[in-house]
Amino acid sequence: MSRHSFLERTLRGFTRAVSKALQSEHAASQPGLLQQLDPRVRVIGILALVIAVILCRRLEAIAAILLIAITIAVASRVSIASLAVRVWLVVLGFSGVIALPALFITPGEPLFTLPALHLSISVQGVRTAVLLVLRVETAATLTTVLVLSTAWTHILKALRSLHLPAEIVTMLAMTHRYVFLLIETANQMFESRQSRAVGVLSGSEQRKMAARTAGVLLSKSIELSQEVYLAMLSRGFRGEVRVLTDFRFKPRDYAGLTVFLFTGCLVVWMGR
Amino acid sequence: MASTFEVQNISFSYEAIPAIRGLTLHIAEGDRIALLGANGSGKSTLLRILDALYFPSAGTVTFKGDALTEKHLQQDEFFLNFRRRVALVFQNPDVQLFNPTVFDEVAYGPLQLQWSKEEVIRRVDEMLHVMSISHLRDRPPYRLSLGEKKRVALASVLVLDPEVLLLDEPTATLDPKSQSQVVDFIQQWKGTARTVITATHQLEIVEDIADRVFVLEAGTVIAEGTPSEILSDTGLLLRANLIHVHRHSHGGVVHSHPHFHGQPRHEHEH
Amino acid sequence: MEEANPVEIDEIMHIPDGYLSPSTCATFYLFAATGWYAALKRIKRLLATRAIPLISVFAAFSFVVMMFNVPLPGGTTGHAVGVGIAAIVLGPWGSILAISIALAIQALFFGDGGITTLGANCFNMAIVGSFTAYVVYRMIAAHSNLESRRRVLAAAVAGYVAINASAFVTAVELGIQPVLFHDASGTPLYAPYPLHVAIPAMMIGHLTFAGLAEAAISAGMVSYLQRADLGLLRGVSGLAQAPGTIVADASLGDSPGRLSPRRLWWAVALLMLFTPLGILAAGTAWGEWSSADLMNPHTREQIGAASGNHAPPSSVPVGIEKLSTVWTAPFPGYAPRFIKSPAFGYLLSAMFGVGFMVLASLVARVAGGKWPRRNLHP
Repeated sequence: MSRHSFLERTLRGFTRAVSKALQSEHAASQPGLLQQLDPRVRVIGILALVIAVILCRRLEAIAAILLIAITIAVASRVSIASLAVRVWLVVLGFSGVIALPALFITPGEPLFTLPALHLSISVQGVRTAVLLVLRVETAATLTTVLVLSTAWTHILKALRSLHLPAEIVTMLAMTHRYVFLLIETANQMFESRQSRAVGVLSGSEQRKMAARTAGVLLSKSIELSQEVYLAMLSRGFRGEVRVLTDFRFKPRDYAGLTVFLFTGCLVVWMGR
Repeated sequence: MASTFEVQNISFSYEAIPAIRGLTLHIAEGDRIALLGANGSGKSTLLRILDALYFPSAGTVTFKGDALTEKHLQQDEFFLNFRRRVALVFQNPDVQLFNPTVFDEVAYGPLQLQWSKEEVIRRVDEMLHVMSISHLRDRPPYRLSLGEKKRVALASVLVLDPEVLLLDEPTATLDPKSQSQVVDFIQQWKGTARTVITATHQLEIVEDIADRVFVLEAGTVIAEGTPSEILSDTGLLLRANLIHVHRHSHGGVVHSHPHFHGQPRHEHEH
Repeated sequence: MEEANPVEIDEIMHIPDGYLSPSTCATFYLFAATGWYAALKRIKRLLATRAIPLISVFAAFSFVVMMFNVPLPGGTTGHAVGVGIAAIVLGPWGSILAISIALAIQALFFGDGGITTLGANCFNMAIVGSFTAYVVYRMIAAHSNLESRRRVLAAAVAGYVAINASAFVTAVELGIQPVLFHDASGTPLYAPYPLHVAIPAMMIGHLTFAGLAEAAISAGMVSYLQRADLGLLRGVSGLAQAPGTIVADASLGDSPGRLSPRRLWWAVALLMLFTPLGILAAGTAWGEWSSADLMNPHTREQIGAASGNHAPPSSVPVGIEKLSTVWTAPFPGYAPRFIKSPAFGYLLSAMFGVGFMVLASLVARVAGGKWPRRNLHP
């Protein structure tokens, strides 16, 4: 685990973040099912299905939504392979591991007893573990499909027309825009340190370096924000935020919205 | 000629550090000005004062007869008017590209100045076409090259059709081709009622972009004149840290004399 | 998965979709929304128009810092949230917004944390975390010089306590899930571990790894800023000043003339906080039965009727044994039926939550106002 220094691992985290961003921009321009719909319909529709996932009480209902999610993914040209890697394996590794002890410690009727260890797995334990993992998988699949098929700016504008306050939307947009700039800056700082490092640094030296880099990054960030502020003033900013949204509902959007909401309600009703 | 900017004896400090000291200059309508100075000479600060982003602690600044004070800028009508007529292009384009896409960026100014939605869309598309960046319309700023960023930044202020253009180091860090494109642009962008003020330390572009030069050093104007007058005054340029002396070689011989990098080939005797 | 181990422990703070029931999600969205609304109002008054770029870029910064793998003693690594330094530099309100925005982008864009649980995650990390960090920092840093070592220590402790406070609230949210939300056979529907499992599990990881990472980053950054950029340690009122301009803003700080409305807020907060507790103390509300109630067939029937005709589990779920020591006394006979409805229970929780937040903000105001005013050297 600590064979690789924190520098390398952090740098890897950065590259992962940037490549994730680039990947999602690519899928948004494909001619798929979701891409045909108004972004507002996509946001509301997917959100409705995610809420349905957590309202359902039965395994079969949640599994049904998962199937729907996969269908939407395929129809929207989202690669199953990337879903499997980005979502399914990660969730399994994380929530799967968390759910494992629940098999044993959830009280209820014993299903199966491990001979040597005298630990028994209860029916309720199995059900709860599967419920949890399935819920997380399905919800994550739905949100990933949304993000991959919709440009970030469209998601924000959809949220704006759904009456999220303009300041919040602007802050989300600006944060997203500058994340990549700051990642690049931090990247450069780390890379230059890495090339200068002679030998392996001790834990406390690495900690100091992390803190110092964060400190430099903070100073630069505050400076950047002050310059951005001046640039905004210079172009007429007075505190009110005006965003241009030109989404227009087409007949297929009404259809899409109806299908999403109907499906969500149906599954919840059947799975209660 | 009508006056555009009247700057009388202004001073300005960042926290405790003085950046401008007793600075005076006059700029007339239609002038093409170069503010020449090394880094730290105060030229960026001066541009920001001219754009009413900073207000001097002493002295006065007027734009076409109107005083640029904080109070005055708080009046809606004057504010909207001023922001449309005077435009500043920052040195670092990342600072100026804070919207999610290129289209949003160019549309930002018009939106803040409360143009109608249809008008905004029409003028923005027109501007993108004029600057040959229509293909970048939906691109996020972090996926633009430096040259593209500078063009978008320029487009985002030109869309307002300003009377005064303030440019902060427009050619710094650009490759020669992009640099010449910027210079061409400044030369074309004129007209009797339009004023350009360019802050730069690059001597090689001064002749092309300006008719009058102010040399800045340590926050004040130390000289004023035509480009040829200023550029031939070696002592002045040395004092202002715009040229330097160090040993170098050319013509197969090593020697030292005042010069600046980017200076066209020079011949002299040894 | 090489990175699974230390990262896991910290990432559980970002609760994914599916771990919290719909009603829990909704309740915490309500709490969080109250916090966001209050923070936005307050930060707009303090910073006026510079709030938007400042908070945005700080959120981006916090997002990037969350990606740092901080090496810890013992050869593992941890992640910091940045709530410590955010509370110090931006104050609690700015910190609430900045961290919430970073969390929202993590959830939407990178799948760290769920959408339905965003309210809860923001409440835990952005709100509880920010207030805790701010109050602890102010209490320890108190009168000391901006450049003193005491400030560094204050930052370390503030970061550490804040992360553990967040972890604790998270653990409670997760721990009450199996108690309150299970099906007829006793299968937990959401997070499956009751309080006495969830709390130790969360706290151990954070008392050790995550807390130390936050402490290291907070302390290290304050130490760096003391040398490189002292102005940033002055807090949000320092940031409100632009170079060369003076922001004429009378709302910076606590002026004595505003005592009257403030007293009113204290009263409201305490009222909202204690009313639900008062009502609950008068009787056993839904979900808080004693173990004896569950074993008695007569009350079981009543409970079943009140719970939408789901029979309570045949054996007392472990978590209830803990909870039943908190609430006491059965309902007096004349108490109205609506008190037993779930909706009322949630209304009470909502009141409690809002009361808590108003109280927390008042405490923070006192903490922030009382101490550093006198000794912020120019």
